Amino acid sequence: MTRLKTLLAGAAMLAAMGISAAKAEVTVLGWPGGPEEAGLRKVAEAYNAKASEADKVKLIFFNRDGFFDKLAADLAAGTTEFDVNLLATYALGRYAPFMEPITLPAAANETFPEKVLATMQYDGKQYGIPTDLSLHFMYYRSDLIEKLLTDADWKTTYGEISEKYLGKKLEPKGPDQWTWEDWMATALFFTKSINKDSPTRYGSVLQMKNLLFNMMVWHSAARAEGGDWMDASGAITVDSPAFRTALEMYKTLFDDGATPKDSTSYEYAEANAAFGSGQAATMLQWNAAFADLDSKEKTPAVAGKIGTVAPPTGPAGRFTHIHGLGLGINKASTHKEGAVKFLDWLATPEAMTIYAKAGGSPALSDAVVAGIVAERPDLKKLGEFAGAYGFVMNGGTAAKALQVYELQAKEFTAYWSGEKTLDEALAATKSGMAELLKQ
Amino acid sequence: MERQTILQGRVLITPLTAFLIALLGFPLLLDLLYSVSQVGFENIRAPEISGLGNYAKALADPEFWAAAWFSLRFGLIVASIQVVAGLVLAIFLAPLFAARPWLIAFLMLPMMVAPALVGLMYRLILHEFVGVVPYYLLEWYGDFPAFLGRQWVFTTLVVIETLQWTPFALLILHSAYAAISPDVREAAALDGATGLRQLVSIDLPLMLPAIGVTAFIRFIDSFRVFDNIYTLVGSGAGGSTTSMSIYIYQAFFKVGDIGLAVAASMLLLAASFVVLWTINRLTARREPAP
Amino acid sequence: MNQTLSSRPVMSALRWLVFAVAVLVLNFPVIATLVTSLKSDAEISSNASLIIEHPTLDNYAAIFAMADRFDILHYLMNSLVASLIGSVLAIALAFPAAYAMARFKTGRSWLLPLAVNLRAVPLIIFAIPIYLMYQQVGLLDTRLGLAFIFALVNIPLVLVLFTSAIAELPFEIEEAARVDGASTLRLIWHVVLPMSLNVVAASSVLAFIYSWNEFLFGLMLTTSRATPISVGASFFFAASGGGVRWGVAAAVMILATLPPLLLGLLMYRQIGRSMTAGAVKG
Repeated sequence: MTRLKTLLAGAAMLAAMGISAAKAEVTVLGWPGGPEEAGLRKVAEAYNAKASEADKVKLIFFNRDGFFDKLAADLAAGTTEFDVNLLATYALGRYAPFMEPITLPAAANETFPEKVLATMQYDGKQYGIPTDLSLHFMYYRSDLIEKLLTDADWKTTYGEISEKYLGKKLEPKGPDQWTWEDWMATALFFTKSINKDSPTRYGSVLQMKNLLFNMMVWHSAARAEGGDWMDASGAITVDSPAFRTALEMYKTLFDDGATPKDSTSYEYAEANAAFGSGQAATMLQWNAAFADLDSKEKTPAVAGKIGTVAPPTGPAGRFTHIHGLGLGINKASTHKEGAVKFLDWLATPEAMTIYAKAGGSPALSDAVVAGIVAERPDLKKLGEFAGAYGFVMNGGTAAKALQVYELQAKEFTAYWSGEKTLDEALAATKSGMAELLKQ
Repeated sequence: MERQTILQGRVLITPLTAFLIALLGFPLLLDLLYSVSQVGFENIRAPEISGLGNYAKALADPEFWAAAWFSLRFGLIVASIQVVAGLVLAIFLAPLFAARPWLIAFLMLPMMVAPALVGLMYRLILHEFVGVVPYYLLEWYGDFPAFLGRQWVFTTLVVIETLQWTPFALLILHSAYAAISPDVREAAALDGATGLRQLVSIDLPLMLPAIGVTAFIRFIDSFRVFDNIYTLVGSGAGGSTTSMSIYIYQAFFKVGDIGLAVAASMLLLAASFVVLWTINRLTARREPAP
Repeated sequence: MNQTLSSRPVMSALRWLVFAVAVLVLNFPVIATLVTSLKSDAEISSNASLIIEHPTLDNYAAIFAMADRFDILHYLMNSLVASLIGSVLAIALAFPAAYAMARFKTGRSWLLPLAVNLRAVPLIIFAIPIYLMYQQVGLLDTRLGLAFIFALVNIPLVLVLFTSAIAELPFEIEEAARVDGASTLRLIWHVVLPMSLNVVAASSVLAFIYSWNEFLFGLMLTTSRATPISVGASFFFAASGGGVRWGVAAAVMILATLPPLLLGLLMYRQIGRSMTAGAVKG
């Protein structure tokens, strides 16, 4: 009986192998819930209005939690459930083996700057059309900084605090002139436990949860100090003085109470909630947070009082991590022709204009931005910052880049939370990275 | 008769066995193959056999042992608290439930919420600025602990797990308590056993199997805890909240070392099989055959 | 005796008090969630207390307003169907096996520990192999495929509960029936099952809840047609850039909790009745 069932199951399996469901449409897997979804829907609508019946696109979405894990399983198993899927710069190396390289249409060079197209390249091949660009802003409370720059008492206190905590007397400066040290002094000044006159409980809110995205945020500081994952010869340089300084900076602010004491469990949503409650004066955060924070309906305490600049300057310059989201073609897809048609159209100024107007955040060439700058002034800043300050760590698109981020997240949060010393954490990171990034 | 019973027994377990073989036979074989192979997402259809290296790697990995210890400690603590709390509630509130059985439904509520969503909601509830718990602690005491910081996170997770799953213990133990025949209690009462003495000498011994089963299930469930911890704090600062399931999930999906993840699971499977088999032998020897 | 009589009202009051406190404490996360679901985004960011200043149903409206993009009723239906099939299947498979294990000791030494082990290991290691297998037999993204997994997840639990419950049943009644010439199957159906209604009811509620809340397999094995609510939930509350809209998340949680809750309330009447019946007979 038992044997029979197994046989039956086996037979059913064999029988099913011959069947492959025929679908007439191109299925596109997108990122659910946010403005990316809204943008994609509008674009698909416009495309379907003119595409032939067989080329029409259908959208599907996965849960956000575990999105990339599910995607990895699907692609590895050779799914045919979708033909076009979401890609991210930092995960390109991981998904490239399951993706079909594409040839950029002529329109792409007209729509996107070179640096942005490069966010979808791996190993010399183009894997997708970039749809959204993510980078970091230094968010600050413009009302508070204004007072700090003018109020004599505050200036004096600022000098005293910087001398006591950072060892040198600093003068308040405008956020666009900040060095990382100026930012630290500002963060300490606006911390109630240090300065009882501070109108906010904390001077900053740091995202220190053991999560790869938090490493990306912090990397802007490490890079400004001159840090990189590897030098030109491929040797791991994660234990350089630059990384130490940037790591110690977060540790100092955390230990001195300039960020909430639960910060080691904070990520995007927690940090926004803290800043949005009006109790944190500054925040290094993704560009995408601005719309929600500046909305009177969502966070009335801070709406209209938020300034954004590029992250502070360090000895090596001023930098922001950048990565792109984009759409590429599943290697196992059974509708590659239709998929190529859709992506070709997606790379046109017309499609990207629709996408941007519906809420997406593409980084576009100056000519295209000029057409939508009235509706989306933030896109101008996005493109400028990416061009002027954008960087990718050496190795940041390697096949195992994701694992490097995971490793750093684990080791660096161990240091910040006091579980490991700086030397222990860096030693473990270095040997782990050497293993992951060796060619 | 003897041969017939054996035959009947086999027939009765056949559907279950067949189902398990149909659903897990192939996956188990494939996993066994993975566990002795060099395998990641790139080659799930063509793993390279590499011997017992994955097992050695897991056994030599201090994080594997840290995760095992985390799960063991978490499971034991949480299961003990839940059984005691469930037992106290089940017995003390028994008269209420006897008159109005539907009352127990109010205590069952926490179980109905998906643990993944529970973890997510605690991110809000425990948040310093928008969370209700810090809000009231600040209001009443002027301070609150860093619930998810290094010092408190384990305690916080224990409380969260206990609040959600004590109802489970309560439900099972309540059924067991209610099933004790009134005759037994009456007889005991005639012998002069009332109140606490009756509880210790009659009720608890009769409930012992149920208590054992409850403790066992709660321990296993909490040992393999995943959803709520993962959505609340992930694997924790420096990996400090890495349970066994989180360790395996990370190895599988985040690191992409499928061979290691599967080998670690096989070790876990073997260890728990030995434990269960031993428990079974011990209890089987104690109870006489019917 | 007198003493117990005089203390009865006091004890009863104390019991009610303990009950009320237990309900409040155990349900605290649910209560906090319910409160959050009735606040606007602005109020969530400015008022963390349990008092709602401006109650609103906007969060619930937001969920249903998205029905053309993400259909919550569809996800609820998927979960309902798959969970029901999964729970019934688990019980149907486990009950006879549990009887054989409790009475004949068949498979007690290997099948019971093996099956129970399934609960101890993270089943996620079977995700990829099951995915590949489902892909071949066409069970991927189907309610039935999901139901099989739910049954698998619940078999260990119901098997343990059934085995220990059947072992505790008085043997004499079965023996009497056997002497009357009843076959084992008839015996199980007409004698053993009716005596075990308590544990069957409790197990089915638990199995349903566990199925309903299963997340990882739901994520891995479905794409669009069979997406269960535990997976579909996050579609509704993702804000821009990967954040969470807490109010909508809370509302989704409340909606997702309603079906198992109603089922639990419904089943409790049954369980209550069977218990009272047992007491009267006993």
